[in-house]
Amino acid sequence: MSARRIIGGTIYVLSGVVGVLAFIYPFLLAEVPRQSYGQAHGQDTPLVTIALVGLSVVALLVELQGREISARTVALLGVLVAIASVLRFIENAVPGPGGFSPIFAPIILAGYVFGSRFGFLMGAFTLLTSALITGGVGPWLPYQMFTAGWTGMTAGWLSYVVRALCVKEKLEFVALCVFGFAWGLLYGAIVNLWFWPWAVGVPGQTWTPGLGLWETVRRYGAFYIVTSLVWDTARAAGNVALLLLLGPATLRALSRFRQRFYFEVCTDA
Amino acid sequence: MPDVRTWLLWALTVLVTASRVRNPLYSILTLLIAAVVELVCAPHRGAGLPSSFRFGVTVVVLGALFNGLTAHLGDTVLFSLPAQLPLSGGPVTLEALVYGATNGLVLAAIFSSFSTFNRVTPVRDLVRLTPRAFHEAGVVISIALTFIPQMMYHLDEIRDAQAVRGHRMRGLRDWLPVILPLLTGGLERAIGLAEAMVARGYGALSNRRHSLRTQMFLLVGLMGVLVGWLAFLLLPQWRLAAVSGMIASGGLIAGLLWQTGRSIPHTSYRMHRWTLCDSLIVLGCCVTLVSMFAPLPFVNRKALYYSPYPRLSPPPFDAVAGVGLFGLLVPAIVVKRGAADDRD
Repeated sequence: MSARRIIGGTIYVLSGVVGVLAFIYPFLLAEVPRQSYGQAHGQDTPLVTIALVGLSVVALLVELQGREISARTVALLGVLVAIASVLRFIENAVPGPGGFSPIFAPIILAGYVFGSRFGFLMGAFTLLTSALITGGVGPWLPYQMFTAGWTGMTAGWLSYVVRALCVKEKLEFVALCVFGFAWGLLYGAIVNLWFWPWAVGVPGQTWTPGLGLWETVRRYGAFYIVTSLVWDTARAAGNVALLLLLGPATLRALSRFRQRFYFEVCTDA
Repeated sequence: MPDVRTWLLWALTVLVTASRVRNPLYSILTLLIAAVVELVCAPHRGAGLPSSFRFGVTVVVLGALFNGLTAHLGDTVLFSLPAQLPLSGGPVTLEALVYGATNGLVLAAIFSSFSTFNRVTPVRDLVRLTPRAFHEAGVVISIALTFIPQMMYHLDEIRDAQAVRGHRMRGLRDWLPVILPLLTGGLERAIGLAEAMVARGYGALSNRRHSLRTQMFLLVGLMGVLVGWLAFLLLPQWRLAAVSGMIASGGLIAGLLWQTGRSIPHTSYRMHRWTLCDSLIVLGCCVTLVSMFAPLPFVNRKALYYSPYPRLSPPPFDAVAGVGLFGLLVPAIVVKRGAADDRD
């Protein structure tokens, strides 16, 4: 394995670790001296976190772009992002139940067919582009980009697992549906973390620095179940429904086009 | 009309101000200023109230209700709910309502500033903001933005064509005959676009692979950020050093971006000029940040934080910090009314 690949892999892992740490900082924060309850919520930490998540996205994009990206990949990514953004546009005009959003199924299927790198870019760019056209730019955007990117990236990993296990087509869709359901819930649970340190409510559900890991997990769990579980379940169920109804045909179409996109003529030069 | 970077700085200043202050008086002032800037710079044309105003009212009312019904703290009891009710059972206090409303005001101010930002900045200017190092990212987003109207048009075409064939949209399953042609048509267009890009020499001139040195610097920058972040979280006594380390590492990554961007040929059609208007807005943001957060001897920074518990009392107010907030109002004074619409 070349030094370039090792360093590239380390950059991937480090960006992910920085991103994950930025998301889960409420669970790690040590006891911090504070004067009042209100002041604790006004600390700089959430602002630093927003900057950090943005920086992780930037670092990951620098690395991803550092490899050669063919015109075909750029065009394919642009068009698929446009299709997913159109779906979000429709969702904004005709809101679905709860947190249902049609953009996750295309991200999952694209990551599954075209690989983890493509999946990450597809997820991140879909959220960025759709935020630009729907007026959704804000401090929450880096979190959404990162989480949607992870959705696409892990979909690429899922395809490796499915191929390694040589599962049948029906089981493949079961795996995709379970994956879509899990990410429907995970997306909400992860993105909630951007504002949870600012949220108010029952003391048993809100964050204050220095709670300890398990108490923070317990409080966040209670907060998530009370405020988000029903909302996110609609998204998870929507992902499953879309993957079941539209997935098989879409997957076949994408797989067929993958062969056309990455068709190369080998020459004995 | 100000530069998109000026607007971004203005929105970030509101974000920093709103999120670091916990005093309803300053939060209301920030919200009002953001609302005035939105009304002046991007007048609402449709009937009814702007979405940011509706969101603000909703989030303040819901914040007050949610906190009032679930946090049974404070001395001024308004009424009591039966203790058997899950979560909400117990005394509902005035202090809890005020605390919830205060936090709602913070979220409303943040949303309002970015709502203004989204309304006054054209999408093409935001894309232009993409750093040169993210050349491919900029191309991908440009392609996506260009294709979106086409995709919408094709979606309508396909729906009409299917309707002529007797297809009716009743449920989710009926979307398949619409989505699949849209997808395959889009992918066909992507192949055509890729061939056109290659024919015009896309990616032919330079080898875009990063050098080993660039990768090493990126790795060092990320490691610095990671170590700084861990120190920031876990070692409060080293917080200043940790922040300095993170800023230096972030600077290294930013420098890398700039260096990488320099190798990419770049041309601009009609560059935006930095005007006096931009300078005045930046100056206004600086005034706000300094008056609110710099350790000035004549500013009582304790007035920025207010807790209604245990008994409600009037929130403190420092006049200098309050006047400093008006620096955020500069766009409403210097920007021509409705200029955002003129640009579109």
